[in-house]
Amino acid sequence: MEDISLVTVVFMLPLVGVLPLLFVRSLSEHTMKWLTLTVSLVTFGLSLLLLYNFDTRVAGLQMVQKWDWISSDSFTIRYYVGVDGISIWLVLLTTFIMPISILASFEPIKDRVRLYYIFMLLMEWAMIGVFVAQDLFLFYVFWEVTLIPMYFLIGIWGSEDRIYAAIKFFLYTMAGSLLMLLAILWLGNEAGTFSLPEIFAKLNSGELSFSPSTERWLFLAFAIAFAIKVPMWPLHSWLPDAHVQAPTAGSVILAGVLLKMGTYGFVRFNLPLFPEASETFAPYIALLAVIGIIYGAWVSYGQDNVKKLVAYSSISHLGFVMLGIFALNSSGIQGGILQMVNHGISTGGLFLMVGMLYERRHTKMMNAFGGIWRAMPLFSGLSLVIVLSSMGLPGLNGFVGEFTILLGSAGSQVLSLWFTVAAAVGIILAAVYMLYMFNTVYMGELDKEENKRLPDLNWQELWSLIPIVIMVFAIGLQAGFFFNYMDSSVRDLVQYLGDTITAAAGR
Amino acid sequence: MFEVPSLSDLNVGATLPVTLLALGACVLLVVDLFIPRERKSITAWLTAIGIGVSLVFSLLSLSGAVEFGSGELAFSDMYRADRLTDTINVAALITALLGVMVAYDYLERTRLQRGEYYILLMFSAAGAMLMGAANDLVIVFIALELLSIPLYILSGFRRPQEASEESAMKYFLLGAFASGFLIYGIALIYGATGTTNLPEVWDAVAGVVAEDSAAKFLVMIGAGLVLAGLGFKVAAVPFHMWTPDVYQGAPTPVVAYMSVAAKIGGFAALVRVFGMGLSTFVLESGAPAAWQDTIWLVAVLTMLLGNVVAIVQSDLKRLLAYSTIAHAGYILIAVAAAGTAGLEDTAAQAVVIYLIAYAFTNAGAFAVITAMEKDDASNTSLDALRGLASRCPWLAAAMAVFMLSLTGIPLTAGFVGKWFVFKVALQADLVAAAVVGVLTSAVSAYYYLRVVWMMYFEEGEGDAATPPALAWAIGVAAVGTLVLGALPYLLSDMAREITLAFGG
Amino acid sequence: MTVNEWIFVGLFLALAWLLPATPIILAKFLAPKRPNPIKQQVYECGVETTGNTWVQFRAQYYIYALVFLLFDVEIVFLFPWALAYNKLGLFALFEVVVFIVLLVVALLYTWRKRALEWSS
Repeated sequence: MEDISLVTVVFMLPLVGVLPLLFVRSLSEHTMKWLTLTVSLVTFGLSLLLLYNFDTRVAGLQMVQKWDWISSDSFTIRYYVGVDGISIWLVLLTTFIMPISILASFEPIKDRVRLYYIFMLLMEWAMIGVFVAQDLFLFYVFWEVTLIPMYFLIGIWGSEDRIYAAIKFFLYTMAGSLLMLLAILWLGNEAGTFSLPEIFAKLNSGELSFSPSTERWLFLAFAIAFAIKVPMWPLHSWLPDAHVQAPTAGSVILAGVLLKMGTYGFVRFNLPLFPEASETFAPYIALLAVIGIIYGAWVSYGQDNVKKLVAYSSISHLGFVMLGIFALNSSGIQGGILQMVNHGISTGGLFLMVGMLYERRHTKMMNAFGGIWRAMPLFSGLSLVIVLSSMGLPGLNGFVGEFTILLGSAGSQVLSLWFTVAAAVGIILAAVYMLYMFNTVYMGELDKEENKRLPDLNWQELWSLIPIVIMVFAIGLQAGFFFNYMDSSVRDLVQYLGDTITAAAGR
Repeated sequence: MFEVPSLSDLNVGATLPVTLLALGACVLLVVDLFIPRERKSITAWLTAIGIGVSLVFSLLSLSGAVEFGSGELAFSDMYRADRLTDTINVAALITALLGVMVAYDYLERTRLQRGEYYILLMFSAAGAMLMGAANDLVIVFIALELLSIPLYILSGFRRPQEASEESAMKYFLLGAFASGFLIYGIALIYGATGTTNLPEVWDAVAGVVAEDSAAKFLVMIGAGLVLAGLGFKVAAVPFHMWTPDVYQGAPTPVVAYMSVAAKIGGFAALVRVFGMGLSTFVLESGAPAAWQDTIWLVAVLTMLLGNVVAIVQSDLKRLLAYSTIAHAGYILIAVAAAGTAGLEDTAAQAVVIYLIAYAFTNAGAFAVITAMEKDDASNTSLDALRGLASRCPWLAAAMAVFMLSLTGIPLTAGFVGKWFVFKVALQADLVAAAVVGVLTSAVSAYYYLRVVWMMYFEEGEGDAATPPALAWAIGVAAVGTLVLGALPYLLSDMAREITLAFGG
Repeated sequence: MTVNEWIFVGLFLALAWLLPATPIILAKFLAPKRPNPIKQQVYECGVETTGNTWVQFRAQYYIYALVFLLFDVEIVFLFPWALAYNKLGLFALFEVVVFIVLLVVALLYTWRKRALEWSS
């Protein structure tokens, strides 16, 4: 028996946590809540250990675990997990967001508690699985499995239109990913293996190569699946429904982690597997990304529902991430990855904020509020930090990410400068809608009777917001520490992209 | 002059699993006569034991621990005991066992408890097993009848309830019609090749094509008619019309069994006839077998029709009836892939993997409906599921697992089946069929998830009764679905040595 | 296959139609037609019909007929076997034993189900 890698431990721990919830009938609701929180906190602690053990000089996979899962004469499928500079922060983001959203569910979730926490832990398990999987089969399994807990979270604990939103979310994502399934099968048939590093090795050595048209088809099959998940304009229409109808913790997870699976997929699969097609499609994808940035910001501005506003702002923010990734250079991709983490933290925070407002007034309409600062100063102060982080104030995390992305896209060889200009306009728009929202909800006169006696944060709410605020400052002020981890892996990827593109141009 | 074979040529040992089952059924038929009506649980137990013994023998043979008989062929080359036979045996026997477990309490509470039920079920399981073992077109036909005739009777078992009688009548008439097609197709193939022995047909067909004689049209029509006959059994479009009516009318435990067993038998025979016998029917060298296009087109139609019509159903039994049609389409893709030279074995493996995954899932889903159904055959509508999750959390969870497996969500057996089917389809360059396959899977997600949302998201009075035997059946099916999904190598290792024998 | 071989099939088909058709048509033309009520009655073995002809039969008739048919066919198979018994050997004996055992099972079943009793 070989050693069990830390990655496997972090990955499987949430699943182990599900077992007592499933089989021990006598647990009280109180115990179940705390049990789940403990499991997710321990997972977070172990994932910090992952960070500690991570060697920043290595570009490839670390803490790898490899077991044969299915073996046949013509192909093998493995349980193959590991982390590298690209995935490590996303694993940490997942383990960081989960305890927060579990803590934030203590009060609002009152019925079918057991089922709720089972699904929360399953969700965490599946999301970590997506980020650590290094085998296409394994990746696809967890990619799809994330849908199920989310479907139930939205469908059971969501608001009025929850069923419609749940089914739309499920069908949209599934339809996209099934085409990816075919592409995966095709790739596996050609390569004779489904494990990603082996496929890269075969591509590198020229043992496996695609004709340009095949490469484009495969690129598109993967890209559609990921683009729906991101979501990129014009495939975004499931997102506002799902976000608005989901319970608070569901929205936090959706925005915080699930959307990142799409952008992560682009970095992990599309770029290294199909470098030439990536280059061909980069301007088109960047165009869609920029449209998304502007469109998301514009629609956000027009909302009178706070939750919808935050939902549409996600489309805008993820446009930045996509723009960075398809700048196809080091700062673009690094900025993109950091911005994934930033968006997870600040939009997660925004959704928590909306959830707390909703818990108190049972409405998400902006005009129902106003002058909240006077009633809830602590809450409003923390909210201000998150809002500022989301619009990219220098010194906070959002700025670092967006700035690096713009730097990357301006210096990109494949993108025209106009994309950068348009994206910069997007930043200004973000300031407009965010401040508009903050102004309407928090500032001004406390003129509505119902708002005058709103209680300030209780301890659970406070403790779910504090880690977020800490991270907002930590990333904003110490971005180098975070970039340092992705450096080698991203440099390697960019080098590889550059080499193949030059080689293709020379042919 | 006809050579009289000697007794040792029979190689009965190789046929032990199916022979034991058939013998057991005969003995039980007599024993049951002396068991009083109030104590039919004895018959049920004896049936379960009989199926269990046969299952043990099949598993022993499958694992290679014991070598029964000498060599693969038995009964003058009529019967072939190879890896495919063993896996089909296991699938059919597991289905039969689940069928008995699902039926027992239902028969008790609807006062249908008669020994014949179990005996007919055993006979039809023996038929399904024989279809997987057929090495000769004549055996295909006899096995088909052995599989079907008990099913006709079982569909009408709820006599004098009209729906059940109608279902039996419809099934019988159309089934007899399909048998006619099959036997005529076999006759034409015999006319063209001069043999009904599958490996010899394999040889002869190559010769027929090489000579470019008119006989190749006979093979073509023959193959078409055989496809029609077997396509009827597996409910492929356009031979599917009976399915919704029969499934809706027949007693639910019967449907749980027959929706799976008939498919196992039908697809085993399709693989035998097309993969093993007619794979040399290649009109231009290098091209796939002549029947490939037809079969994948049938597959595409089947998937489209099954999935699209299922969306508008409001009765669970009918919904699942259309879903079984859709699943026949998925498996047919793999059968079509067997038409590409060199892929016959891989395609047969994919078919077997899908069938076993499907056996657990579909039998389980109908078992849940059996639990819901009231004694007067009502309460099977989709609305009856409302709020089931709060009344019977485990039952609802099992049903959710079955629905997700039918959709093909990973970590369930259904996904493993689809994975292998689409994989072989891409290997055979059947990209269009595979694309339609995945898109219709997305469509199917809608109606399968509707079942889940009725149970979990809606409030209501959904209720069900799960007596022990039924609970065990559902539990076994659900655990099987999950375990096979999480440990897919169980299926792939079992199937991986399946090879179809070629040549005489 | 050449065309000539198929000619015989065609001839056979034609003859198969012709042979029964000829006497029927001939009778139509040659037979004298002098109908009376007795002649137009339903033929029932020469006995005069009484009552309605559309009566229901007891179900036992059918079961009887089925059982009879089974054992009738049994003889058809057993007779040639018995004639060639000396040449066929142990193998055929085995087959026939299996055959008879199956029929005995069927007989036992019909007996216990009281299909052989006339009055129930």
